[in-house]
Amino acid sequence: MKLFDLSGRKTLDVASPVPFAEWKDSQQGTAISLPQDVEVEELHPYLGSLTLIVLEFPIFRDGRAFTQARSLREYEGYEGEIRASGHLLPDQAIHLRRCGFDSVALSEDANVKDWEEQLGRYQFYYQNTAVSPA
Amino acid sequence: MKRLSRPGEGEILLLTASRLLDGRIVWLGEGDHWHESITGAIRFTYEDAGPALERALAEAGQKEVVSVYEVVARDTQPPEPVTTREAIRAHGPSVHPDFSYDHAPVREKESAL
Amino acid sequence: MTQPASRSVGHYQYEERDRVFLQERINEFEGQVRRRLSGELGEEEFKPLRLMNGVYLQLHAYMLRVAIPYGVLDSRQLHKLADIAAKYDRNYGHFTTRQNIQFNWIALKDVPTILRELAEVDMHAIQTSGNCIRNVTSDEFAGAAKDELMDPRIHAEIVRQWSTLHPEFTFLPRKFKIAISGSPEDRVAARFHDIGLLARPGENGPLFRLFVGGGLGRTPVVGRELFDSVKEEDLIATLEAVLRVYNAFGRRDNLYKARIKILVQTIGLEAFRTAVEEELGRMDCAAYRLTPEHVAQIRARFALPDLKAPADAADVLEQHKKADPAFARWVASNTHPHQDEGHVCAVISLKTPGDIPGDVTVEQMHGLADLSERLSFGEVRVTHLQNLVFGHVRKDQLHELWQGLKALGLAAPNVGLISDIVSCPGLDYCNLANARSLPLAQKLGARFGDAALQAEIGTLSIHMSGCINACGHHHVGNIGLLGVDKRGAETYQILLGGDAGEQAAIGGILGPSFAEDEAVDAVARIVEFYLGQRQKGETFSAMLKRCGLKAFKEVAYETV
Ligand code: SF4
Repeated sequence: MKLFDLSGRKTLDVASPVPFAEWKDSQQGTAISLPQDVEVEELHPYLGSLTLIVLEFPIFRDGRAFTQARSLREYEGYEGEIRASGHLLPDQAIHLRRCGFDSVALSEDANVKDWEEQLGRYQFYYQNTAVSPA
Repeated sequence: MKRLSRPGEGEILLLTASRLLDGRIVWLGEGDHWHESITGAIRFTYEDAGPALERALAEAGQKEVVSVYEVVARDTQPPEPVTTREAIRAHGPSVHPDFSYDHAPVREKESAL
Repeated sequence: MTQPASRSVGHYQYEERDRVFLQERINEFEGQVRRRLSGELGEEEFKPLRLMNGVYLQLHAYMLRVAIPYGVLDSRQLHKLADIAAKYDRNYGHFTTRQNIQFNWIALKDVPTILRELAEVDMHAIQTSGNCIRNVTSDEFAGAAKDELMDPRIHAEIVRQWSTLHPEFTFLPRKFKIAISGSPEDRVAARFHDIGLLARPGENGPLFRLFVGGGLGRTPVVGRELFDSVKEEDLIATLEAVLRVYNAFGRRDNLYKARIKILVQTIGLEAFRTAVEEELGRMDCAAYRLTPEHVAQIRARFALPDLKAPADAADVLEQHKKADPAFARWVASNTHPHQDEGHVCAVISLKTPGDIPGDVTVEQMHGLADLSERLSFGEVRVTHLQNLVFGHVRKDQLHELWQGLKALGLAAPNVGLISDIVSCPGLDYCNLANARSLPLAQKLGARFGDAALQAEIGTLSIHMSGCINACGHHHVGNIGLLGVDKRGAETYQILLGGDAGEQAAIGGILGPSFAEDEAVDAVARIVEFYLGQRQKGETFSAMLKRCGLKAFKEVAYETV
């Protein structure tokens, strides 16, 4: 796995994430992964003890994690790292960043150049987001 | 792989696809090339079409075609697809005789793309 | 880069940053095509990406759907569309029910170049397909109609900009369509959109009535009122909130249950409203507030027509009508009252009986662009019924327009009448179709083409779709036709009683489907029955209510 930095906001956390359902019982470690069908409100009591939340994309077309990430930032005020993992395309780099993702977990053979190029593509955006105003 | 049901009496199978670069309809013909005209399409029996389809699917990327599948046609000269949909693909839109593939000479050189 | 024609009115005029944005979007798409051709992207990954830029792989070729935001074009744009049709297509374009134009014979390798040519006139194909927020549609008489409460186009543009490449709502469960009207008479079918907005002026600024969860397709649903009066400053926040709920909870396991209408139906309107209100309660509202300054900025980029007509314009029109009965007939069906006494809105029928609904040739496009420059401030609107509108025509110049249209073969006097048939492309072009729709539309158009007969029948709509996806909006036609596949044969179901407007209703299925020619005859018998049995001034829908579907059914199946 190769980590790609989207936000340049923080050093990338190398902790290995534990599925949230498991973590809830033990509360060991500070990194969790969250499937797309869990509402982020459930994390509310634990956010203080988390430094990395990995949101999963079973397939790139399933965009629920964009809403999860934005909710974590806007509603929950979470300031730790949010990482995207799973089936993702470089074409989604900006969407990820603008919804509050800091990093994306890529496969070893992923073409990082496409991701870099996409991040620098637009000079402005048409809408505000709570995370990164236009 | 989902296959068509067996062709009936006097019917055969053809392989068709869309060309990636321009989306044009093509038919698998001699020399395993994709041609714009149905006239020279290879006629398969149900048994032969299966492996041919698998090979065509495997080579689709390299041959720059998408959406490869089988079509049932009557074993006439040229072969005539059984369904309206495939007949329209073979001959052109029914509402624009001027766009018919039968009259407009096919641009074979483009299939070499 | 081309400068906008200074006279172009009716749509937002791009600034430099909008143009830069388009170039960047084209670069992005060009890169995607390159990665597809190099094999880096497979078809499964490329498909959603190309769809988001309006590129379909259809039956015969790629189809490119170009956005016409809120349906307004200027003459230089129409000239450019004509050039593209001539250069990259087969000399025609097809206007759709979503106020877009489609080119049916496009090669993928040409698309980036076509997009650059479109960008020269501030046009694009962004979000004309795909599971994202689609091109925003609006009222074809916006800013012109006499009955209008407020011009919806400013807010349509605001919504367009907000939805463009929205980071959170680009990978939705399914497509998302928004329409906005500012007329008391709903001319955008607001109740048949994922979100329909009806704008009206309030004491402290505009208010928006918001309908949610309407739509046609496999499961036709009349949208429900979510909010009665959304304030202007809350418009974007409210849209955000609705989309957030949809993106989080809309179904993704079943394509046919993924639209917002199913979510609203499943959890119920009240629960849905509560969820939206909760979002609004938690939202950083300042970040989404639509400020009066922002609205003013957008408004300032809309040029208004300078409406000056001679004092005797109306009299001149009356004289022209007296002198020429054919012109008078066209005026009766093809015009709509304008706010200004000296002007009128002219509807140009793209339904010449026997022709393909919505198709225009290159010559017609150039000709229309020229006419609009001369007679309607260089502005052309596209309607959701596949016709065109010149929004502001001087009454004394209407005859000149009509003559120009006659010369282009576009003077059919049938708007709102039975041969003004809405039809999707159907099996002749569409990959998803069950049956052809265009030949049937042509046959029906020809059958009822006689001007006197149509005038006698009066207002009556026929809508035709080639499959359950309902692009021809067959559910809302007074008479709807739906292509169904019956063991490989094309057959047609008839629906009666649909209505898209204030009296929104979904047509009822008459019975078993007909073969093509039988369907034409059955429709003819239905119309005959209506003519024979209607009471004075009774509409088709009213008579259907009075007599019941069964009576019509008996007539329709009489000799089959
Ligand atoms: S209704 Fe069906 S056939 Fe008609 S254009 Fe839509 S998808 Fe195609």
